Amino acid sequence: MSETAQQDRVRPWRFADWFVRHGRMLVIGLPMLWLMIFFLAPFFVVFKISVSELAIARPPYLPLTSWEDGKLILTLNLGNFQYLIEDSLYVSSYLTSIRIAFFSTIFALLLGYPMAYVIARSTGHRRNILLMLVMLPFWTSFLLRVYAWIGILKANGVINNFLMWTGVIDSPIVMMQTDFATYVGIVYTYLPFMILPLYANLAKLDTTLLEASSDLGARPLTTFLTITLPLSIPGIVAGSMLVFIPAIGEFVVPTLLGGPDTLMIGRVLWSEFFNNRDWPVASAVAMAMLVLLVLPVMWLRRAQSQQEAG
Amino acid sequence: MTSKPCPATDRPWQSESAKPFIRIRNVTKKFGPVAAVDDVSLDIYKGELFCLLGGSGSGKSTLLRMLAGFEEPTAGSIEIDGQDMAHVPAYERPTNMMFQSYALFPHMSVERNVAYGLYRDNVAKGEIKQRVADMLDLVQLSGYERRKPNQLSGGQRQRVALARALIKRPKLLLLDEPLGALDKKLREETQFELVTIQETLGVTFIVVTHDQEEAMTLSTRIGVMNNGRIEQVGEPREIYEFPGNRFVADFIGSVNMFEGVVTENEADFVRIKSKDGDCDIYVSHGVGCAPNQKLWYALRPEKMEISRERPDQKENFFEGIVEDIAYMGNQSAYRIRLKSGKIVRLTRTNRDRGEETPITWDETVFVSWGPSAGVVLIA
Repeated sequence: MSETAQQDRVRPWRFADWFVRHGRMLVIGLPMLWLMIFFLAPFFVVFKISVSELAIARPPYLPLTSWEDGKLILTLNLGNFQYLIEDSLYVSSYLTSIRIAFFSTIFALLLGYPMAYVIARSTGHRRNILLMLVMLPFWTSFLLRVYAWIGILKANGVINNFLMWTGVIDSPIVMMQTDFATYVGIVYTYLPFMILPLYANLAKLDTTLLEASSDLGARPLTTFLTITLPLSIPGIVAGSMLVFIPAIGEFVVPTLLGGPDTLMIGRVLWSEFFNNRDWPVASAVAMAMLVLLVLPVMWLRRAQSQQEAG
Repeated sequence: MTSKPCPATDRPWQSESAKPFIRIRNVTKKFGPVAAVDDVSLDIYKGELFCLLGGSGSGKSTLLRMLAGFEEPTAGSIEIDGQDMAHVPAYERPTNMMFQSYALFPHMSVERNVAYGLYRDNVAKGEIKQRVADMLDLVQLSGYERRKPNQLSGGQRQRVALARALIKRPKLLLLDEPLGALDKKLREETQFELVTIQETLGVTFIVVTHDQEEAMTLSTRIGVMNNGRIEQVGEPREIYEFPGNRFVADFIGSVNMFEGVVTENEADFVRIKSKDGDCDIYVSHGVGCAPNQKLWYALRPEKMEISRERPDQKENFFEGIVEDIAYMGNQSAYRIRLKSGKIVRLTRTNRDRGEETPITWDETVFVSWGPSAGVVLIA
């Protein structure tokens, strides 16, 4: 084939050529644009408010820039962040949030792992039914489900009534408005987020590995600890992140089920924003929370990709 | 590779007094109503390399899994080295298995994979190190200790799997299609290695395979399985030359099968009339059968002669037309259509170079054979 003939053949495909070369950018570009508009832009708005000064105005903060004597003055008020450190309320509610989210994640893992394991090991029809049951609660409103827990946990609720009827206790146990109720609510709410990634991981575990382990002399518990558990770490990490991250900023559960001393950062943020109308401090709380969450997540992701590569 | 020289003393299955190492007695395994393994009894002796040969769904893998302890027999008993294996879990059996998929632990290095069985037995650290090094040396994988399974080639993984299965010095090694995932050349090399290792260590091997060539070259004895039953057990030569029924004759190697009826049945010969040819089939040994019984005469392609001239004998030849010839270098394969329409396959070694007038397409030829060339099959 001559050179010109080859060129002639290529020409009609110029657009396709261009697309192949630049299409990648297009494909990545769309989600990038989406993230810019709906994540990065609001993020900058919140960031801006967090470094501005409180004012009795509408909106309730001063602009960052002002014009005076021909000078453009940019005022960054870091006082909001300073305030977060100075007032022990914020630090302690951050710590409470982390503590509650951490233990909720542990409880969800301890509950969710065996459930995911059973679902992954069952077959066909049974597996589908079990998966359905895990997802069924999503079909009703989250708020409604948390309200239902009030009915179960309150002084004359289902549990106390039952225990008093059987004579185990004489007076009702106080469960509502305690940390316990908050834990119950959070673990209950986020359990499916633990089960589903774990199930996805455990379902693709090659069962001949378990047979090989048994064949080489490992008892079932040893097989679990040396084969199943290490191979399900990606599922554990994914599930734990899906529980831990939303649990830290959880607002509804501690408000409805928790007591006045269950100070989680989501609640503090809410009252700062709506009760005190202190938008700058509320924004500073939100920024601090973001940093608190993003850094460990990024670190985890890096560790994970390194493990996969190594 | 030929089967190794086997003096009579090395054939415990021929001696009445030898004690079998593995006794499988009337073992049945049912999955629902289906019997995957159906009333199988089998004796295997120490130091054997026994091949379970069969197609897919023949029950060979299920039988192997019952020996390993992954499945419990529905009925019957399995004894290994005098010990009844009923209710003995896999992790307490003196067997190790090499899996078809190798089942290497993906999160462990080669070294950890091989050492896994020793750690489970709480062997001292120093000894583990030594034994792993020795074993990796045996399978020629020294220097690969730190690699992960996904950094190895198929052949290397296969050898890691073998090393891991051998490290505990099992009394019995079970191999499920050990060479199935390797390409042809590698498979042939590995066959040699496998036999060498088996002889070096003196471990009893039971190999499951669907590859009859592999079974022939590897094993001391073969058990041919079909539909959950054992059709025949014997040395490779026995299975090939004296198949017990049509299934075995057809499954091992290729064969021409002629259906016929006994016309003369004497103590030292039988005469069979087949509608495939004009003359009788004469067999120079007696066959225990009823007169006029329907039976089959099995004739291997390499045991026949081909000629243009009518053979100088009254029986044991058929006339036909050459339909196809395949030249394969060392031999030529002929497909000859008989008058009855039946196709006969025949192979001939190409002894001479530059044959002047070789037999060619559409020629009328005669295929002939000796009185002891074929096997009479009743079932």
